[in-house]
Amino acid sequence: MKFIKRHISLIFPLIAILLGLEFFIVFDRTTDSFEKGLQSGYSMMVVSKDEMSIDDFRAWDSHIEQVKELEKSKILERLNLNKDKSKQKSFESSLPNFYSLKLDAYLTVNELASVKSNLQKSSNILSIETFQSSYQSKYELFSFIKFSFQTFIGFMTIIGFFLIVKQMEVWNFLHAERMKVMEIFGASLFLRSKVLINMALIDAVISAILTSWLFYLFKNSWVEGSQMEILKDNVESVFKFSDIFILLFVAITVVMIAVFLVVVNVKEK
Amino acid sequence: MPNVITAHNLTLGYENDEEIIKNATFSIKKGDFVFITGPSGSGKSTLLKSFYGNLSPESGSLVVGGLDMVEINKTNLQELRTHLGIVFQDYKLINEWTVKQNVVLPLWISGYSIEVQETQAKRLLHHVKLSGKEEKYPMELSGGEQQRVGVARALAKNPFLILADEPTGNLDEYSSNVIWDLMENACHQLETTVVVVTHRIPMVFNIPYRHFTIDTNGSVYEVH
Repeated sequence: MKFIKRHISLIFPLIAILLGLEFFIVFDRTTDSFEKGLQSGYSMMVVSKDEMSIDDFRAWDSHIEQVKELEKSKILERLNLNKDKSKQKSFESSLPNFYSLKLDAYLTVNELASVKSNLQKSSNILSIETFQSSYQSKYELFSFIKFSFQTFIGFMTIIGFFLIVKQMEVWNFLHAERMKVMEIFGASLFLRSKVLINMALIDAVISAILTSWLFYLFKNSWVEGSQMEILKDNVESVFKFSDIFILLFVAITVVMIAVFLVVVNVKEK
Repeated sequence: MPNVITAHNLTLGYENDEEIIKNATFSIKKGDFVFITGPSGSGKSTLLKSFYGNLSPESGSLVVGGLDMVEINKTNLQELRTHLGIVFQDYKLINEWTVKQNVVLPLWISGYSIEVQETQAKRLLHHVKLSGKEEKYPMELSGGEQQRVGVARALAKNPFLILADEPTGNLDEYSSNVIWDLMENACHQLETTVVVVTHRIPMVFNIPYRHFTIDTNGSVYEVH
């Protein structure tokens, strides 16, 4: 019972930290593809007097990634203004040029406004439509969810670290006497901390495996049946095999730093 | 016989505290049995601590086992300590380890094989009259038994120097006798140097010994 208690008191905060980390990784991956989806689904409309190439646009703002000219005939067709072909031709020639612009990233509302103002500096450009209200509502919702989640993860990680600091105090209480005695009999730093290192390493491995298992279950059971498009579309991003190594590395690093701090703070005198 | 401990004008003290041992000059030879006595607070334990590098000299020189304790580095100090046997008044046993594990601690630190550790543990526990208690934990033993485990641990590696701080301070007569017998034997048969800090030299002691005393001013004298 004592043995289990000793291990759980380190495994629990470690899992809290690793869950925070893995949630962060998964969230980063899924939101990245969601952002890309938003980015690819978004375009702004520009109307110009003369024809413009992608380089012309880029000269005004480097965020412009793709330019597609909208055919005037199709615009007229959609408007259904005139069925007379000869009149339509002259009407077409009097129309300005319409472009749909795609951007290189999912920009903030301010950045989007900056792109618009840069393009407006061109005397050739007559009008720009950024569809800002629809963009803004999506962007704000997305930003809010991202911020909330990151705050939650940060909070979890801080609690995890506090629990580890508490555990370090417990270790100090449990092992300081033993380490002092060993030091008096000439044990090296490694020998003195060997018991603690072994225990911490076992706990780090158990924590990494448990966290990986939780995410594996999350991916294979919950995500499949969930209604969340963002997760369903990115089910592969929820947990990757390589994540085990990231979790293991972080867990071992955290416990080794904790062990080192405990060991060096044990003074013989 | 070569000197095991040599002190010249040795002054000891704790940080931000006055000097406790002042200008002590003495030498202890291989095979000597030395009692250090003195009133409480005179610096007996402080002097002993300096022999195993727990306290660095403030001035003067101190050489233990050929190593200058003023200049000694961590590696050499660790090496020196693996050749010392130290006994404490409060035993300093590792409570979460068994009696056997405590006894073989110096052998384990020096990387001896399990077989050697087992043999030594059996032999030493027989000598300290604790056969059959190998798997007990220190807290399951009486004070006298715990101190005998401490002495067995000190003897485990056949050290060239045994340092004992009030080893029989709170013990019953039986345990005290066992401990004095063991130390006498180590000194007499193995020529181990033994330095014991004590309030009282035992009434019956079977081998010749030297007696150092520390007065309240921190001066160390040999009593002839």
